[in-house]
Amino acid sequence: MNHVVQCEKVTKIFEQGLIKVNALTDVDLAIEKAEFICLSGPSGSGKSTLLNMIGGLDTPTSGEVYIDGEEIDELNKSELADLRLHKIGFVFQAYNLIPVLSAQENIEMVMQMQGVSKKERNEKSSAILEEVGLQGMEKRIPPELSGGQQQRVAVARAIVSRPSLVLADEPTANLDSVTANKLIDLMLQMNEIHKTTFIISTHDPMIMQRSKKLVKLHDGRIIDIT
Amino acid sequence: MTTNWQFAWRNIWRNKRRTILTMCAIGFGASLIVFSVGLQLGQYDLMISGSTRIYQGLVQVQKKGYLDEARMRNSIADAQTLANNIRKTTAINDVAVRANGFALVSSRERTYGVAVIGVETRHEGNVSIIPGLVKEGRYLANDNASEVVIGRSLAKNLKITLGDELTILGSGRDGSIAATIFPVVGIFDSGSRELDRGLVQIPLNSFQQVFSMGNHAHAVVIYHQNAELVDTLKTQLQPLLKAADPDLLALGWDQIQPGIKESIELDYSSGWFMYIVLVAIITFSIMNTFLMSVLERTREFGIMLALGFKPINIGKLVMMEALILTLFALIAGTLIGLAVNYYFLINGLTFEGMEEIAAQYNMPATITPQISIESTLLGPAVILIFTLLAALYPAMKIRKLEPVEAMRHI
Amino acid sequence: MNSFLLIFSLAWRNLWRNKRRTLVILLAIVLGVWAMIVTAAFMRGMIFQMLEDTVDNLAGHVQIHHSQYLDDPVINNSFDPDSHTISRITHDPRVLMWSDRIRLPAVVLSERETTGITMLGVNPARESKISFIGKSVVEGRFLNSSSDTGIVIGQALADKLETRLGKRIVLMSQDINNEIADRGFRIVGIYDAPLDPTEKAFVFVGKETAAKMVGLKGAISEIVLRLHDTDMVTPLVTEMDQLDHTIDVMSWLEVEPYLELMIQMMDTSMFIWYLIVFLAMAFGIINTLLMAVFERTREFGLFQALGQKPRFILFQVWLEAILMIIVGLLAGNFLSWISVMATGDGIDVSVFARGMEMINMSNIIPFVITFNDLMIANITVAVLGMLTGLYPAWRASRLVPADAITRI
Ligand SMILES: Nc1ncnc2c1ncn2[C@@H]1O[C@H](COP(=O)(O)OP(=O)(O)O)[C@@H](O)[C@H]1O
Ligand SMILES: [Mg+2]
Repeated sequence: MNHVVQCEKVTKIFEQGLIKVNALTDVDLAIEKAEFICLSGPSGSGKSTLLNMIGGLDTPTSGEVYIDGEEIDELNKSELADLRLHKIGFVFQAYNLIPVLSAQENIEMVMQMQGVSKKERNEKSSAILEEVGLQGMEKRIPPELSGGQQQRVAVARAIVSRPSLVLADEPTANLDSVTANKLIDLMLQMNEIHKTTFIISTHDPMIMQRSKKLVKLHDGRIIDIT
Repeated sequence: MTTNWQFAWRNIWRNKRRTILTMCAIGFGASLIVFSVGLQLGQYDLMISGSTRIYQGLVQVQKKGYLDEARMRNSIADAQTLANNIRKTTAINDVAVRANGFALVSSRERTYGVAVIGVETRHEGNVSIIPGLVKEGRYLANDNASEVVIGRSLAKNLKITLGDELTILGSGRDGSIAATIFPVVGIFDSGSRELDRGLVQIPLNSFQQVFSMGNHAHAVVIYHQNAELVDTLKTQLQPLLKAADPDLLALGWDQIQPGIKESIELDYSSGWFMYIVLVAIITFSIMNTFLMSVLERTREFGIMLALGFKPINIGKLVMMEALILTLFALIAGTLIGLAVNYYFLINGLTFEGMEEIAAQYNMPATITPQISIESTLLGPAVILIFTLLAALYPAMKIRKLEPVEAMRHI
Repeated sequence: MNSFLLIFSLAWRNLWRNKRRTLVILLAIVLGVWAMIVTAAFMRGMIFQMLEDTVDNLAGHVQIHHSQYLDDPVINNSFDPDSHTISRITHDPRVLMWSDRIRLPAVVLSERETTGITMLGVNPARESKISFIGKSVVEGRFLNSSSDTGIVIGQALADKLETRLGKRIVLMSQDINNEIADRGFRIVGIYDAPLDPTEKAFVFVGKETAAKMVGLKGAISEIVLRLHDTDMVTPLVTEMDQLDHTIDVMSWLEVEPYLELMIQMMDTSMFIWYLIVFLAMAFGIINTLLMAVFERTREFGLFQALGQKPRFILFQVWLEAILMIIVGLLAGNFLSWISVMATGDGIDVSVFARGMEMINMSNIIPFVITFNDLMIANITVAVLGMLTGLYPAWRASRLVPADAITRI
C-alpha cells in the first residue's frame, strides 16, 4: 500500500436531536504521493466533513481511513495529535493564524512543537517566507496582514515541516480571484518542488480547472473522479 | 414596556453559565453581608442590653458634672420625690434612686476600698440584676434596714461570710467622717469582676444617714428593655427635670458608658470597611460580564440602530438587564442570609473561645443575630448601587455606537 | 523546553490580548490581595499594640508573686526578694531587666475626694526602665530613691481628687497586723499614661517608704521581669515555676488570658476572611477566563488541527490564569506595602478613644506585616487561584477540534 490516503466506505452521520444528516455515504478514495487533488461540490456536499475525516479531526460513523497505511480509527487522541503534527498540514478558509503570534512565529510554531532547534527553525521559516513571497513581513502579526498574505502564511506553515499531506478547506473562499489564483500557483509550486500531496476543497470552477485530479462530491457521495 | 422587560430577561439567559456565575458572585456577597451585619447588630444588642440591664439602666438622671467627676456633694435633692414623679409621668415603673459613695470596708482580717451604693430596696431589682443574683442569704429587707450585701469576690478577699459584720469607713457629703458597722445579709454573684469585687449595697435611708446626705441622692436610674427609646425617654423627662432643678441632666446609656458605644462604632465601621472592600472586589469581578455582554453584541446593536432604535433605548435595555440580573441575585442571596440568621436566631451561635471573650464584656456566650430592616437591606442596597455603577460604563459606550461600523463588527 | 517557551509566550500574549478585560479582573485580584494583607496587618498591629501596652503597663513579660497573692492581694502574702530562688531567677541570662515592688490596694484621700487605687512601692531606678512610668512624668519629677517621701500620681487621678503638684494626699491601707495604716505624701510628680484607667488606678511611692508605712521588713509583693526575647517567656516560666511552691511565676499571657485567645481567634478569622475575599474574586476569574476561552474556540481547534495535544492547550490556558494571578499578587503586595508605608506610625483611631480604652488599647494602631501573614495570604491566593484556573483550562482542552473550527 503506497497510498498516502485511503478511504474505505467512509460514512458520516450527524445526529442533531431527531434529525439525522448523512454528510458522507460510502466514500471510497485512494490518493497517491505528490498528487494535487481538488475536492469539489456545492455547499453542504460533505467536503469539509471528508477533509476532517482524513485529517483525523473527526471520526467516521463507519468505514476506515488510512494515512500512510495506518488506520487512524485505532489511534488515541494523543497519537492522532502526533499524526497531525508530523504528517499533515492544514489550511482553512479563514482564521488560520494565531493572532498573538507574528508571521514567522506562526510558521515556527509547528516546528517548535516538534522540537526543532531554534537555529534550524529560523533558517527554515526564513526560507519558506521567501518562497511564499513574504520576506520583510516576518514580524507582522495577522491583523497587520491582508487576507491573501494570511493564507500564504498558512500555506507556508502547512508545508514547512515537510508533511506527507496538506489539507486545504476552501482556502480561497475569502479571496478575490487574482489573489486566489496566486495562492493556487503557490500550492502547485510547492507540490512540484516538495512533492507534497495536496487535497483542496473548493466550489470555485477556476480552481477546479487547474487541479490535476478532480473529485466531485454531491450529497455526501463521490459522483465523479477525473 | 412589558416586551422590553421580557426582551431583557431573554437576553440575560443567552449565556446561562456566565449569568449564573455572575449571580453567584452577587448572591454570595449579599448573603454574606446580610448574615454578618445581622450577627454584628445582634452582638451590639447584647452589649447594650448587657450594659443597661446589669446595672447602669437605660437612662440616668444626674446632676450636671456628676458623670465626669463623681463628687459626693454634686447630688440631687429630694431624689425619691423626683423618682415618683418620673414613674407617674412616664408610666415606666422600673425607676430607682441610688446614692454612691466610696469607703474602706473592713472585716476582722482585711480592708479594701470599695464603692458603697445606697439603694431603694423595693425598686433596685427593677433596674439591676444584682438583687436577683443573691446566691447566699437574702437581699436588703427595707430602706431603713441596717444591713449590707456584697459581691462574692469581695467576700472572699475580705474572708467574710454571711452574718459577719462589716465596718464601713468613709467621708460624708459634708466632709464629716462616715462610719458604721452592718451585718452581711447577702452575697451576690453577678459574674462581672468589677461588680463582684468593687461594690457593696446598703439601703438608701441608711446610706443617707451614714453619709449625711439628708434626702439627697446621686442618680435616678431608669430601665427599659428597648434601647431605641433612649431619646424619646430623655425628651419626655426634660420638663420634669427643669421643674425640679435646672441643673439636672437625663443621660442615655451611650453617655453613661461611652466606651461601649464607641467600641460598637469602631467594630461597625471596621466591619463596613471590609464589606465595602468585598463589594468592590465583587463589582470588579462581574464588571467583565457586563462589559462582554455588550461588546459581543455590537453587531446586533448595529442592526437595531439601523432599524431605528435610539442609542438611549439600547442603553436602557442594557441597564434593565443588569438590574434584573442583580435584583434576582440579591433576592436569592438575601433570602439565604436571612435563613442563616434565622437558624442562629433559633439555635444561637457560639464558637470556641467565645465564652472567655464574652465574659470580658459581661456578655452571654451565645450570639443571636438581629433580623431587622437595617441588617437585611443595607448590604444588598450597597451591592445594588455598586453593580449598577459597573453596568453604567458599558451602557454609556453604546451612546457612541455608529450603526454601519457596528454592523461590520464581528 | 521548546514547547514550554511557546506555551509561555502564548499565555503571556493572550493575557494582554484584551487589555481592558484583564485590567478589570486584575483590579479585583489586586484589591483582594490588598484587603487581605492590610486587614491582617491591622489586626496584627492591634494585637501587637495590646501586648506592648500590657507589657509597658506594669505587667512585664514575667511576674513573680507569693503563691497566695493573686487570690488575696494583701501585705501578708509577700516574699523575700533575697532568697536563693529569686536571685537565681533575676540572675538568669535570659532576663534583660527586673523591678521589685510592694503592691497593695489602698485608698487615697485628698482634701475633697476619696477613691480606691493600687499603691506601688518601687525602686525608681529599676522601675523607670521597665515600665511606661520612666518616660511618662509630665509635671514635676519621678521619685529619686526608694526612700523618697513623695508620691507620683496620674493626671486623671489628680483631676478626680481635685489636687495638683505640691499638694499633700493621704494613703490608707492595711498593715502587716491587719490594722489600717495611713501616711501623708506630697505630690512630687504627675504622669500621663496612654490610658486613662491606668492613670486613675496606680500611684507610685518609694519602696522603703511604703515598707515603713505598712510595717514590712524587707519583703516585697511582686517582681516583674523583662526578657531579651518574648519567645523565651514560656520556657523560663515553666522552668522557674517548679523551683519553689511558695512562689508563683507566671507569664504576661496568663495575666491577660483573653489576649492569647484573641491571637488564636485572629488566625482563624483572618483565614476565613481570606477565603471570603478569594471567593469574591474567584467568580470573576472563572468568568473572565471562560470568556477568553470561548471566544478563542476556533484557535484551540486550530491548535489541535496543527497537532497539539489537549494537554498542551490545558497548560496554555492554565498558565494564562497563573500568570494573571502572579501579576495580581505582585501588584497587590506592592500596593499593600505602599499603603502601609504611607500610614507611617499607624492609623489614628482616636475618634473611638473610649471604645479603644474598653479593650485596653491606645489610639494609634500600627500596621504590622509579619512574614507569616504575608505568606498565608499569598499562598492562599496562589493555590486557590491555580485551582480556579484549572476549570476554564480543562474546558478549553475538551473542545472538539472539528466543531471548534467549523463553527464560527
Ligand atoms: N457538526 C455537525 N453537526 C451536524 N451536521 C453537520 C455538522 N457538520 C456538518 N454537518 C452537515 O453535514 C453536511 C455536510 O457538511 P460539510 O461537510 O460542512 O459541507 P461542505 O463543506 O461541502 O459545505 C451538511 O448538511 C452539514 O449541515
Ligand atoms: Mg465546508
